[in-house]
Amino acid sequence: MSQFWYYVFTLVFFLFDYFILAMGLNIQYGETGVLNFAYIGFVALGAYVTGAVSLPNSVGTGQQYIFGWNMPFPVNLIMGGVAAMILAVIVAFIALRRLRTDYLAMVLISLSLVLYDIINNYPRLFNGADGLYNVPQPMTGIFHMGTNTFVIFFSLVTGVVALILWAVMSRITRSPLGRTFRAIRDDADVAAALGKGVFRYQLMSMLIGSFFAGVGGGLIIEFGGSFNPSAWLPGETFVVFAVIIVGGVGNNVGLLVGALLVETLLIHLPAFLPDIPGHPGLIEYIDAIVIGIVLMIMLWFRPQGMVPERIRRFPQPAGELLNRDGHSVVAPTLTEAVASVSANAPFSDAHEGTDA
Amino acid sequence: MMTYNDPAASSMGADGPILRCEGITKAFGGVNAVNGATFDIPRNMITALIGPNGAGKTTVVNILSGAMKCDSGRVQMGSTDVTNWERYKIARLGLMRTFQLSRELGGLTVLENLLVAPKVQAGESLFNIFFRPRLLKREERQNIERATEILRTYGLYDLRDNRARELSGGQKKLLEISRGVMASPSLFLLDEPMAGVNPALIERIGGYILDMKAQGVTVLMIEHNLNVVERICDNVIVLAEGKTLATGKLSELRENKEVVTAYLGEVINASTSH
Repeated sequence: MSQFWYYVFTLVFFLFDYFILAMGLNIQYGETGVLNFAYIGFVALGAYVTGAVSLPNSVGTGQQYIFGWNMPFPVNLIMGGVAAMILAVIVAFIALRRLRTDYLAMVLISLSLVLYDIINNYPRLFNGADGLYNVPQPMTGIFHMGTNTFVIFFSLVTGVVALILWAVMSRITRSPLGRTFRAIRDDADVAAALGKGVFRYQLMSMLIGSFFAGVGGGLIIEFGGSFNPSAWLPGETFVVFAVIIVGGVGNNVGLLVGALLVETLLIHLPAFLPDIPGHPGLIEYIDAIVIGIVLMIMLWFRPQGMVPERIRRFPQPAGELLNRDGHSVVAPTLTEAVASVSANAPFSDAHEGTDA
Repeated sequence: MMTYNDPAASSMGADGPILRCEGITKAFGGVNAVNGATFDIPRNMITALIGPNGAGKTTVVNILSGAMKCDSGRVQMGSTDVTNWERYKIARLGLMRTFQLSRELGGLTVLENLLVAPKVQAGESLFNIFFRPRLLKREERQNIERATEILRTYGLYDLRDNRARELSGGQKKLLEISRGVMASPSLFLLDEPMAGVNPALIERIGGYILDMKAQGVTVLMIEHNLNVVERICDNVIVLAEGKTLATGKLSELRENKEVVTAYLGEVINASTSH
């Protein structure tokens, strides 16, 4: 097993994992218009909970954490997703009920910082600044895998999870529910005037997206075996935003493209490059600058992303259309309709009961 | 095609008003935008809400539709007290509205704008999406058929796959009205449906409103074009300084000195000499 394949499959893992994370943020922001600037907090909670339920009881491990239930894969992953959903319910009732767009975004950033400080400074939860480590790698016992084989194996497992979640997400976004989400994104007042309980749908979207965030986070801690506050600085949220903006807001294929370009090629690939002599760590900084520039270029020249949101076309009903009275419905173009009205009876005649 | 009805032939109906508004008030800072407006909207009629700019017409529509909460007063829809209910709950009782400046769902196509309108859809439940796909298909097919019929009637069929934000101003007005029709309202509030549209389109929109009435929809429309009001409205409510000044037929209101002073004045002379 060469180092090369180890690197390649690490990249593959991050491609699939960020695809999952991007789908979660996309349903919240791209589909429903909830500007969730605390997204990385949901990812982190998912990672911590997945780790903490997978680890054995904390006594004697040298770490402090809650749970410690020895949960197997994929139960631990689902628990991570559910934990993020619980956080979503709390956040929704605090922030989403009363606030919109920019104010909501500010509250969510603050919330992300608060969450970060609590977890970082209260070690009894998830071992504070040291974070969780020695998290068991799933299924290694069953298949007797070494570390390198595990990397290949788990990146493929992540691919399967991503595929399942993609199928689920596609089903949701193509359904009338997805359409209602997009109606709320476009104009929440109009959606409410059409009888849609906006908060209910936003909460639903938050819950679905948070589950994806939690699962994505859980996969990270299972893949690497550790997770600490340096992995989820509040700015990390914007990396996921960059993925969906570059890829294409509102398009699942675009999210995969975004995950490939931003997360895989711009963030993780340069991490494997050798240091510039005399300037250790310089590549990392250049990398951050490049991502910023790419984001600006995209927003300036191609705000719809690499793969824009597609127009949803529906098959038209077959056969002749009849109106309520059983008569054939005339299908005028707008121009024809306007022309026929102006050529026909004037408005005053219509008032007297003639057909227009 | 649209059938034009003689407004005089309609009667109030035995069920009483579809909506009753009693002494509603709304202040913005120190300004009393609505100051005790009281009126009934008779069932299955077209009622015009007229008044000078700043009379509180749009605020009243906002309060009736739940977009704003009133400070005091009562709004009753049928036998249900809906005062300060949430918007979506009022909409579910059958009250639809349009906005003064058309508000389309820009990222959705024209057809999707209509498909989103039915108030309660089985396809909006996660359970149904995954476990009752046949029900979803059937419902969607019915909705597409109905939306297609409405789009053909409103002359928007050829634009069905265009994003709504790409439409012209007049087309957006039509889209907003047809979206409301798709929701099968019992009471439709139209906020200046004829404002800023060309005469030919005014003709068409007038026809559509009369057609709605023929289908049993009650309409309340804010309108400044008295020519239109005279031709299609059965009943007129005059609002001035947030109060109901008078209600009745436009011909009766012309004789009302208060109404003439507050609103009609020059306009009515222009309208009659026309």
